Amino acid sequence: MSIVTVQLGQCGNQIGFEVFDALYTDSHCPQGLCSKRENEAYQASCKERFFSEEENGVPVARAVLVDMEPKVTNQTLSKAAQSGRWKYGQHSCFCQKQGSGNNWAYGYSVHGPRHEESIMNLIQKEVEKCDSLSGFFIIMSMAGGTGSGLGAFVTQNLQDQYSNSLKMNQIIWPYGTGEVIVQNYNSILTLSHLYRSSDALLVHENDALHKICAKLMNIKQISFSDINQVLAHQLGSVFQPTYSVEGSCHYRRNPLGDLMENLVPHPEFKMLGIRNIPQMSENSLAYSTFTWAGLLKHLRQMLISNSKMEEGIDWQVRPPLSGLPTLGKASLNRGLHFNMSIANLVILRGKDVHSADLGGFKDSALYTSWLEPINAFNVWKTQRAFSKYEKSAALVSNSQFLLKPLDTIVGKAWNMFASKAYIHQYTKFGIEEEDFLDSFTLLEQVVASYCNL
Amino acid sequence: MEGPERGAGGLGGWVKNVVFILKAPGHSTWRPQSGLRRPDRAELKGAEGNASTLDRTDCTQRPGHRSLGRRWRRAPARSVTGRRPSRDGTCAVIGRREFPAAAARDPREAGCMGRRRLRGHRGDAVGALPEAIAALSQTLPAGPSPEIFRRAKFDRPEAAPALWQLLFRVLSPLPADGAPASPASPASPALEAQVHLVKSALRSQGYPRRALAQLPEDGSQGSRELLLALAWLLARGPLLEQLLAQTRVRLGDEIPLCECEALASAGPLPPRQEADGPVDIRHLQWLMGKLRFQWRNLITSQQEQCALLGKIHSYTRGCHSDRSLGHLSVAETELFRDPEGGRQLLQRLEGENAQLEAALVWRRQELVFWKWMAGGWGPEWTAVQRASQEAVGRELAALQRAWEQGEALAQTHGPRRLVKRDAGASGGPGLRAAELIGVLRSRETCLEAVLGRLQTRCWQELTRLAGARPGLLWILPPGR
Repeated sequence: MSIVTVQLGQCGNQIGFEVFDALYTDSHCPQGLCSKRENEAYQASCKERFFSEEENGVPVARAVLVDMEPKVTNQTLSKAAQSGRWKYGQHSCFCQKQGSGNNWAYGYSVHGPRHEESIMNLIQKEVEKCDSLSGFFIIMSMAGGTGSGLGAFVTQNLQDQYSNSLKMNQIIWPYGTGEVIVQNYNSILTLSHLYRSSDALLVHENDALHKICAKLMNIKQISFSDINQVLAHQLGSVFQPTYSVEGSCHYRRNPLGDLMENLVPHPEFKMLGIRNIPQMSENSLAYSTFTWAGLLKHLRQMLISNSKMEEGIDWQVRPPLSGLPTLGKASLNRGLHFNMSIANLVILRGKDVHSADLGGFKDSALYTSWLEPINAFNVWKTQRAFSKYEKSAALVSNSQFLLKPLDTIVGKAWNMFASKAYIHQYTKFGIEEEDFLDSFTLLEQVVASYCNL
Repeated sequence: MEGPERGAGGLGGWVKNVVFILKAPGHSTWRPQSGLRRPDRAELKGAEGNASTLDRTDCTQRPGHRSLGRRWRRAPARSVTGRRPSRDGTCAVIGRREFPAAAARDPREAGCMGRRRLRGHRGDAVGALPEAIAALSQTLPAGPSPEIFRRAKFDRPEAAPALWQLLFRVLSPLPADGAPASPASPASPALEAQVHLVKSALRSQGYPRRALAQLPEDGSQGSRELLLALAWLLARGPLLEQLLAQTRVRLGDEIPLCECEALASAGPLPPRQEADGPVDIRHLQWLMGKLRFQWRNLITSQQEQCALLGKIHSYTRGCHSDRSLGHLSVAETELFRDPEGGRQLLQRLEGENAQLEAALVWRRQELVFWKWMAGGWGPEWTAVQRASQEAVGRELAALQRAWEQGEALAQTHGPRRLVKRDAGASGGPGLRAAELIGVLRSRETCLEAVLGRLQTRCWQELTRLAGARPGLLWILPPGR
């Protein structure tokens, strides 16, 4: 089943390119560490999901590019075409000549309705190319102008027009010390709108990705391209093919559907994060070997201590002792910074996957009281290695990891709102104070729900 | 599954009992298991509506006589249905023990009465009974031998497990692959679980008798109640047709047109369970959400299936020998690719043919069965029996009306084969997909209207509750 990607704004388009590139490169990686037949099945599965076939044999990404400025989309299109390995469709791009000045309201209330028909037509054309549509990826920033406002509008439209299809928004959480003054306003408006119309919000934090580049990849001058490549690697390690429940003879047909069913069925808990291990530069990779036990131990501690990478993990953090009443758990959590999970999905790729022991993730102490580990924890596997890593593990988690950052943003936004700073930029284009209040209410509820696990 | 031969073989003594039972519907002194009273000649001759039947009754006088079939025309001057101690304690079945053994050797030797009768004697109710029951049994999944039916009427405990299993198979959904079900399939649950499911399924279908619900869970008793329940199921609806439809071999690609029958005869409900302790509502919300995602994933899968079916139908255009179809179905395409599968398909078709032939035999002779069922249950059973009779009458009348109305009625239910035609093609039998889509859309509108009304009612109720507690703040969940 296929996934159609909608790349929105500068952020969305740059990331989108890296994602497709990573998926293609991995699926054609010669060091798959599995049989030829299995490798071909893996390739075919990846191809069906993310690419469609063009006449001259060059795969075309199942994507629609949208931006209000032409610069980035043109760059993206040409970069892909130049590689000669895959490309975007000739008519899959929609762009205008004017920007939106980081104005969420302009993106939502003006750009959106004005270009609704063109954009939805493009998406419809892409959908028609699919034999079966599993759902949509919508890649966008949370705090920028075009991507965020227009993205919220487009997601709402997708909800109306394709109500049965799944929608996962890949949203870029801005740097804590971002440059846009109104980024907190944009963030809360984006989040609240997406919470209503999307099925899952897969959050990628710029700060975390930046750290990974610095500490693990040893990159000196970190560019957006580097950050996006780390992100693409994480997404690929989740959505590349894995075995279905019937066993290793078939690949999973609908990973998006399976993921959502396992992680975000509750309407109040839609925020997901990715961790993966190992993550390192190619040079270091050649000299490293890993065991599943070691990888999983680190991954588990990354989850518990809310660490974004395998370096600098706080090993002091422990899950609370079982048998304590729930109230006791909650207060302990806040004290020890323990990250409680609602549900987790671990994806293992590589050699000897079947020998990996996942007992550590089935500990009920990791999870909230109203969900048993048997319902809260799932694992996907494949023997086929991912992107030159002999063994790699990824964790998609619905947990408290965004609680603090979200709380911070809402707090800051509220402070600004209380003094009505910059509100006129929004009311000018139809976003009233009531809309702000609705957003605050919704997000406070989300914060409270995650807090009271 | 036991075939008719064995059943016929065990019928020798059974026939005598049949005679007795047919004698007097509603006969108040009939008592099961207490030994049969020897009827006098006057009674036998005077049995209502059965005089001619009795003349043909096959009763042999000499106990242990094996060739029952050859001597069956002798009238029963004296029924030898007196007390005769038999090993298993069943009442007064003469020489019956010999018959199964004889039947195993040669059914004809033991007297396959059905065959004899067909050779030229007038078909009659009494002799046709074992044949009718055997046919019924072959049509049903896990159908027990006619001997079990007989014992059940006497409420013999040994007949109970087989009948529980029969009811379980009848009431629970059958495997989708259409493979003929075997009673010894490893997937069938333990007897206790079957008992439980049968009880809850009958309850959900509105079965009125509480006695069945009170039967012990170990499945050791109650064969008579179970027989009555089976008759009730047979009488109130087209049970056999439904069962046959569920297990039939499907060659074409099909879609169901109208689901109402399938829904009405849905499988047994899972048993209700009390939760241990308080339940966190978030867990319920989680489960609801999971269910919704599964629905959406199912819809997506179905759309994929449709798209792929369309491709297969397009690519195989012109390959089918039947011009009115024009293209192959998935099953037919698979036959080309896999000869072994073709052999298995042939076997399944042959098995299905045998079942259908048995169903035809049953249909011709089922009145015999109903007459047998009608008698000897005692006053407390008559209400149910009357209801069953009325239901049978209604069913027959409905069938007649349907036939009079012709094709139109028959087409609105059940699965239909999908056939892809060129846009310009006109004529030909069958429904147009466009018309069907129109019908479904209008039904959808109706259902949405109903849903809207229900939601409004819920909303009003919530508002009323909210108003009742002024201090309470209601925060609605995001989204729909």
